[in-house]
Amino acid sequence: MRLFLAVILCKALRFIGGLIGKGSSLPGQFALKVCPDALGRVRLPAHIIAVTGSNGKTSTVEMIAAILTASGKRVVYNKEGSNQIEGVATLILSNCTLGGRVKGDVLLLESDERYARHTFQWFHPTHFVITNLYRDQLTRNGHPEWVYDAVKAAIHPDTTLVLNADDPLVSCFARGHDPDKVKWFGLDECSVSTKEHHGVYHDGARCPVCKGRMEYSCYHYAHIGHYACPHCGHRRHDADFSVTALDLEGGTLTINGETRISLAFKSIYNVYNILAAWSVCALAGADKGTMAGVINNYILKNGRMITFTLGKHHGTLLTSKHENSVAYDTNLAYIAATGKPCTVLVIVDAISRKYFTGETSWLWDIDFDRLNAPHIGRVMLYGKYCNDLAVRFKYSQVPADKIDMGGDIREAAALLADHGDEDVYVVTCFSDRDKLLEHVARR
Amino acid sequence: MEFTILHLYPDCMSLYGEYANLAVLRRHLAAMGVSVTVETALFEDTPPFDRADFIYMGAGTERTQKAALAALLPHKEALRAAVDRGAVALFTGNAMELLGKSITEEESGKVWPCLGLADFTTEEVVYQVQGDVVARTSLWGSFVVGFMNKRSETYGVTTPLFGLVERGPGNAGDGGPEEGYVDGNVFATHLTGPILVKNPDFVDFLIRRIFELKGWALPEALPVLPYEREAYAVTLKELADQDADNPPGPYLQG
Repeated sequence: MRLFLAVILCKALRFIGGLIGKGSSLPGQFALKVCPDALGRVRLPAHIIAVTGSNGKTSTVEMIAAILTASGKRVVYNKEGSNQIEGVATLILSNCTLGGRVKGDVLLLESDERYARHTFQWFHPTHFVITNLYRDQLTRNGHPEWVYDAVKAAIHPDTTLVLNADDPLVSCFARGHDPDKVKWFGLDECSVSTKEHHGVYHDGARCPVCKGRMEYSCYHYAHIGHYACPHCGHRRHDADFSVTALDLEGGTLTINGETRISLAFKSIYNVYNILAAWSVCALAGADKGTMAGVINNYILKNGRMITFTLGKHHGTLLTSKHENSVAYDTNLAYIAATGKPCTVLVIVDAISRKYFTGETSWLWDIDFDRLNAPHIGRVMLYGKYCNDLAVRFKYSQVPADKIDMGGDIREAAALLADHGDEDVYVVTCFSDRDKLLEHVARR
Repeated sequence: MEFTILHLYPDCMSLYGEYANLAVLRRHLAAMGVSVTVETALFEDTPPFDRADFIYMGAGTERTQKAALAALLPHKEALRAAVDRGAVALFTGNAMELLGKSITEEESGKVWPCLGLADFTTEEVVYQVQGDVVARTSLWGSFVVGFMNKRSETYGVTTPLFGLVERGPGNAGDGGPEEGYVDGNVFATHLTGPILVKNPDFVDFLIRRIFELKGWALPEALPVLPYEREAYAVTLKELADQDADNPPGPYLQG
C-alpha cells in the first residue's frame, strides 16, 4: 500500500514538476519519505545497467540508450542526469505500473560515483560500467581513491562489472570479484599511443595496489594506457572488447578487428565512450549490426560546444569543467589541434556553479603549455580569478607577450567586439559561460 | 648564494598541484640572485638530506601517504639531523601527519608509528573534513588563505603554525581554532596545494628565515612578483564576502 502511494505521489509530483519545469529529484525524495524501501519493493526489469566514473557517464548512457532502443528494447533511463538516489527513485517510480512493476526491458542509470552505494543498497545492477577515475572536483569529491572506495562499497557480488582495462585504478574493482563476472574493454596500442606520459601530473606513477613504481608500455592519455606493476603483478587485463585500430584524425575506429565505426567527434574520450557502450550493449544481447548502425557518426547533443559571432570574430565556446583537469585539457588539445590563427579567451569567474569555493589549486594541474602553439596569437585571461590565471601562466611555456590580462568578462567581450577578426575560442565552465554568451550572437 | 631544495616523492605526494610551491619559492629566490637546485627523491631512493637546505613534501592519498611513511622512516635520523643543522622543512597536506607520533586508521584501528619529530597524533575519520580556510598566524601580519581536504583529525599540537582559524576546519576538524604545526625550522600545515602561491607573505617569511639561517644579507625589500598579491587579495575578499553573505556552514560532511 505504501509503495502504491509512493508511486502515485511520485507520478503526480513528476507531472506537476514537468509543468513548472522543476528538478527531477524532488518527487523521488517525497516518495521515499512515504515508502523508504520503495526501491527494494518494485519489480525491476531483467537488465539493470549502471554507468559510473569521473568522465563520460552522460555520453555513455545516451549511447547505450540509443543502441538498446534501436535493438527493440524499451529503455528507462535518467535523461536529466539526476544521478543520486532521489533522482533514481523519481525515474523508477514514475516509470512503474500502479502495481509496482517497472515498465521497460532495461533500466539504465547514470550513477553518481559517490552515492552509488546508497542507491544500490535496495537493488543491484546486473551490469555496472565503470569508465575511469580521475581527479574531479576534489573540493567536493575528494581524491580518486576516496571515490574508488565509495564505488567499491556499492558493488554487489552478483553484478557483472564492465571495466576500463586501461585505467589501473578502475581495474582494481576486479580484485576479489568473481572473474566470470568481470568484462573488460580497452584500447590496443595505436596511433594515439605514446611511450612517454603527458600531462602536469601522473596519477598512474604508482601502482594503486602496492604503491611500487608502475611501468607502462604505452599511454593513451593521462594515466590511461597499458601498465604492469613489476612488484605486485597488478597489470592491464586483456580486453574482451577492444578498439583494435584507431585513426583519430581520419575519424575511424575498429572494434575487435572486425567492425569499423566512423566518429562524429574525433576525441579519445569519445572512443572510450563508444567502447564502453558497445561492451555493455553486446553483453545485453544487442547485435553488432545494430550497434554499428547506431554508433556510426553518432552525434551527441551535449551542448558543450557553442558557436557564436562577436564583432568580426567567429567564436567557439568550449565548456570546460573547472576542477577537472583531464576534461579541461581535452579542450586545450582541441584548440591546439585547429592550426588556424586564433585568440583564446580563458575565463575563471566562479569556480563552481554548485557551491562556493576560492580553491584554485586545480589550475596547476591543467596543462596550459598546450596553448603554446604558433597559431594561437593571443591568450586572454579574464574573470574574477584572472590574477590566479596570470600567475599560473607565468609558469607555463606560453610567451608573456601573447598574454592579455584583463578584468571582468564584459571587458573581454567589448574588446573582441571592437578589434580583430580572427577565430576566438573561449574556455570556461558551466558557471561562467552565460556571462560571456549574453554579449554574443549565437550561430 | 647557492641553495638546494629537496622535493620528497613528487611523483605521488602531489595531489593538488603542490609542485607549484617549489616553483614559486625557486623563482623568488632566483629573483634575489640565489642559485637554486631542486633535487627529488622517490620511495626507492635515499633522500640526500645532507645537502638539502629546504625539504618539502606535499599531500597524497591515504594509501600513498602510508607508502611515503614506510619509505621515509628508515631515514628519519637523517631528516632530523638536516633540520638540526638548519635546513627548513615544509610538509603540507597529509604529509604533515608524518611528522607526528602516529596515525591511527579508523576502521581497523591500526596504528602507524610516524617520524616522531613532533608530539601530535592523527586519527583518521570516515567523513571528509574540507573547506576554504582563513587563518591568522603570529609569524607574519596578513591572513592565511587556503583549502583543506582531509579525512583525519590531528590532536596534541601545542605549537600551531596558524594560531587562530577564522574560517574553515583546523587540526582537530571543527573541534579547535588552531591549524598546522611549527617548531624552529619545521613548518607543517594540512592546507592543500600551492599554499605558497596563494600566500605571498608566507613566501617572504620563508625567504627571511632562509637568509637568516644561511647567514646571507637580506635586501631591504623583497621581490614582488606580478599578480601574486592581487590574486591573494581577490581570494581573501571573496572569502570575506562569502562570510558576510552566509555564515560558514558545517565544514564536516557526513
